[in-house]
Amino acid sequence: MNISINWIKEFVDLDGIETSELIRRFNLATAEIEGYEEKGKNTYGIVFGKIIKVANHPESQKLHVLSVDIKSKVLQIVCSAPNVREGMVTCVATVGGCVNGKKIAPVTMVGVESQGMCCSAFELGIGADDEGIMDIKEEVPIGADIKSVLPIDDVVFEIDNKTLTNRPDLWGHYGLAREFAVIFERKLKPIDTVDLSKFDGLKKLHINVSTPGCYRYGGLSVDNVTVKKSPLWMAIRLYYTGMRDINLLADLTNYVMLEIGQPMHAFDHEKVKGIEVLEAKKGDKLLTLEGEEHEIPEGSVVIADEKKVPVAIAGIKGGLKDSIGEDTTSVLFESATFDAVKIRKTSRAIGLITDSSQRYEKSLDPEMTPVAMGRLLKLLKDIDKNIVVTSAFTDCYKKKYDLPVITISEDFISSRIGIKVEQKYIVKILSALGFKVDVNGKDIVVHVPSFRATKDVSMKEDLVEEVARIYGYDNITPKPLAFEPKPTTLNKAIAEEYEVKKLLATKYNAVEIHSHIWNMQDFNEAHGIDSKSVVRLLDSSLAGQSGIRSELLPTMLKVVYENRNQLSDIRVFEVGHVAPSLDENNLVKEEKRLAVVFASQKATSEALFEELKKFIVDYAKHDLAIDIVLKEGDKPSFMHPYNTFRVTSREGDYGYIGVVHPRTATSIDKRLNMVALEVDFGLLSSKEGYFKKARVPSKYQTVNLDVSVLVPKAMKYGELDQILNKYRSKIMNGYGLKEIYENITLGSNKSITISYELCGKDHTLEGKEIDEFLNGLIAHLAKNKLSIRK
Amino acid sequence: MKEKINELKELFSKRKTEAQTKEDIEALRLEFMGKKGHITTLMGDFRNVLGEQKREIGMMINSLKQEIEKTIEELKAKNEQKEMDKRLENDKKIDYTLPVEDGVGALNPRTILQKQIVDLFVSMGFTIEDGNEIETEYNNFDSVNVPATHPARDMQDTFWLDNGEVLKTQTSAAQNRILREHGPKCRVLFPGRCFRNEAVDATHENTFFQIEGVVVDENVSVSNLIYFMEEMLKGVLKKDVKVRLRPGFFPFTEPSFELDATCPLCAGKGCGACSHTGWLELCPCGMIHPNVLKEAGIDPEKYNGFAFGLGFDRLVMIKTGLDDIRHLNSENVKLLKQYGTKI
Repeated sequence: MNISINWIKEFVDLDGIETSELIRRFNLATAEIEGYEEKGKNTYGIVFGKIIKVANHPESQKLHVLSVDIKSKVLQIVCSAPNVREGMVTCVATVGGCVNGKKIAPVTMVGVESQGMCCSAFELGIGADDEGIMDIKEEVPIGADIKSVLPIDDVVFEIDNKTLTNRPDLWGHYGLAREFAVIFERKLKPIDTVDLSKFDGLKKLHINVSTPGCYRYGGLSVDNVTVKKSPLWMAIRLYYTGMRDINLLADLTNYVMLEIGQPMHAFDHEKVKGIEVLEAKKGDKLLTLEGEEHEIPEGSVVIADEKKVPVAIAGIKGGLKDSIGEDTTSVLFESATFDAVKIRKTSRAIGLITDSSQRYEKSLDPEMTPVAMGRLLKLLKDIDKNIVVTSAFTDCYKKKYDLPVITISEDFISSRIGIKVEQKYIVKILSALGFKVDVNGKDIVVHVPSFRATKDVSMKEDLVEEVARIYGYDNITPKPLAFEPKPTTLNKAIAEEYEVKKLLATKYNAVEIHSHIWNMQDFNEAHGIDSKSVVRLLDSSLAGQSGIRSELLPTMLKVVYENRNQLSDIRVFEVGHVAPSLDENNLVKEEKRLAVVFASQKATSEALFEELKKFIVDYAKHDLAIDIVLKEGDKPSFMHPYNTFRVTSREGDYGYIGVVHPRTATSIDKRLNMVALEVDFGLLSSKEGYFKKARVPSKYQTVNLDVSVLVPKAMKYGELDQILNKYRSKIMNGYGLKEIYENITLGSNKSITISYELCGKDHTLEGKEIDEFLNGLIAHLAKNKLSIRK
Repeated sequence: MKEKINELKELFSKRKTEAQTKEDIEALRLEFMGKKGHITTLMGDFRNVLGEQKREIGMMINSLKQEIEKTIEELKAKNEQKEMDKRLENDKKIDYTLPVEDGVGALNPRTILQKQIVDLFVSMGFTIEDGNEIETEYNNFDSVNVPATHPARDMQDTFWLDNGEVLKTQTSAAQNRILREHGPKCRVLFPGRCFRNEAVDATHENTFFQIEGVVVDENVSVSNLIYFMEEMLKGVLKKDVKVRLRPGFFPFTEPSFELDATCPLCAGKGCGACSHTGWLELCPCGMIHPNVLKEAGIDPEKYNGFAFGLGFDRLVMIKTGLDDIRHLNSENVKLLKQYGTKI
């Protein structure tokens, strides 16, 4: 929103305060000024001149040679504007002057000397019209500097609308002037209005409100409007604050809105005899002022004429048919308050956000409607003396806001701000802000004014803010919190998440991905990944991605796909949330998962698998002290049916690890071998076993004894391990897999070499003991129908 | 006899200069010290020496013997050194300038910065909480004082799910649960991923991270908040920053503030990152709204506190110098790999 400082200064004297200081203090106390522009700074030396003669240029068809009277002399000016005519009053930039930064010097144009330049409103920066030079119809002193008559010098602030969201009272210059007055301890002047009660004796208008969406509707009619165009000062002010002049009546409604924040509307009273405020029926349409037809959503508040034909979408836009035209002399003015939510919903639904709807959305104060009408009449009368008010101010006041009364105290305010603020000072600030304040001993009883009561101020904490922001947040001395020593620990889920990520990145060379939570349906379908969503977005601009992912791995496979032509070795992972199922209340049972993919053109699936398995086993063992065991079990259809296994431990089942199904892998990139893992990381990281106590190793010599066991080819190491595990000996420190050997000479068997570590606790082992151990082992294997390979 | 000893002495002096190789030295040793060597022969002759001379000659022989032994040891050592030097010289030379294969993967820069911030808050006595990404309407809106008519609840701003839940629009969605769990005297930090239904560009993502903190106690004041935020931001930015409050508006807090910190990149002098104002808008914050406390079962007459949100992705961008927020959610492994594991 653009704010004119001249306009503000009509209501509060800010003389002697630098612009930078106005901005700084306002920013800290009220709302954010994003920038400002000094209007008129680069425009000077412009006077009013009268064209007394228009002659054709001897060489050019487009140019005219004008004789322009600027009182002190008559200038010869060559002008290209199409609208020049004799007797026309315009703005003349004289030699030595400057037009919006462009210096004026005598020039020769196609052989004719020009001693200045006639300017358009656009060239001067005071209007949007660039079709021709200014054609001034109002009385102005010829030869006078235009700045002596017109408010061209101004400073325009750009306020960030977002920072005014909860302050409906600041959507006009008057409300902002109040803030400046309080901040700089200056006096706020009243608004000059016409007293509407003097029209009480006139006939009432037909106004009927039949929807709770309208809180208050005030109407008043005026006849005999003769002036069509707004005076220049008003046009300039509207232009500076972001609007443009259209005609006097429309401009007046805009002017009042910009001044006090109350939107208004003007209907041609010849066409609209009375007002019905009602809710739109299905199929209602309106052709707006801009000539666009809008379907009005059912239930929206509409303004209709006495025959219930919609003439405006309440609070948003007027209709073309009944708007003010060139020949309008009789007018019906609207000053109304509507339900903020209804206006917002309609405005969003039809995609029309207007200066008016933006204000109504903020919950305007219904008490402002008569003020606005009184102000409009005052302005109109000043401009057009001949007007006749033809109706009483007809006021349908349907919903009044309660005005809260809040009791606070010096102690309360001081303790909440954290510095001592005296009662006297609190009273002074709140009174200046427009609150009515009664002091009753220690109690400060605060009556909230209507313009702050629609949603902004309702409780004690709101008054803390009022006092603190005016006192100045930068004047508050920072104080440390009382210290209470209390040990804290890092949440395990978060700590483990970091540990596992760091391990993957530093030891397994993997890259962490933050992918979106949507299920990438198109990708999945293209690559044979069957992954269903249990919840979907209700409405989304994200085409084809409206499901929420129920598992994490497909997204990682997509990352592999996206990088397949850039890298021959891709290792990626993510710790991310998924929605795999719903509970009995239909709420998502969210899980935090870990998914990892290793893909490589060089390494085999087996090698990749071993590495990935090592990662999960090592992580679980070293960080959580739990032993991971892979088992046969469920797997998704996009994983290899034989080479995918459950990741489990004694404490639970966490997910799966395996080779990606060749169908999916080939579809993604046939050069890549791919293994993957997905586990419920929230569950896994919540587990914790016991870290084993260290034991002191024997100081006597260790003997490594390798034993090759012949087993059937189909036998898994794990099965042998279960057998070996049952053979115990005092001299055995432990054993491990050394080698698996397959060869035709072994027939249907294979050889698994186990390396035993043997050692005596208190003596060096003798050959006899080792032989005993080996014989015992052979006997144990024989019981299990196994033998050793000699 | 004496003459013989002196002759041998001279002979040894001559011979020792000729001994170059390991073999020469061994031959020298044998020539003098071997079973048939000069010294052994000399010792044999010594037996025939009689009387007074015996002592003197004995000492001479002994001295010569020691000298020879010592010299031979020295020669041996010198020769070993020479051979070692030669070996070292001939060893294959390592090209220490060869590049190291860059095997390390990378963490998302968010992960790295979040870890730093989390550690900092733990040191300030905060408990860290994890949260969900899908929340009920109650948690996301009602419990934190967002009225039913608030624009944020509209379809065009929030991702609503078909089971009635939402993708959480702000970390405050966890406030109610956390305040209930931790009770009226607490300091809790909760990072999380949030979602808004908006168009994505260089400065807007529909998926972004926030970090939120709450402090609830008795008699917490605005001046406490300012002190805390300043100290906290010094820790996060690792710079001596100043903060200032401006009025803000959020449903969860009253009063609400926009908090600016002096720009850490230009120390408040003004630069491109802070639009030449010297200030960076970093944390929305405020005193927790009484309705939020009440809703979490905490008596707002007795306890109050403050809450703050860190524009976390913005901080990550400042720290990494990234100019496009979308890179944080990128699938481009080559890009991500450059972050490494520290920022």
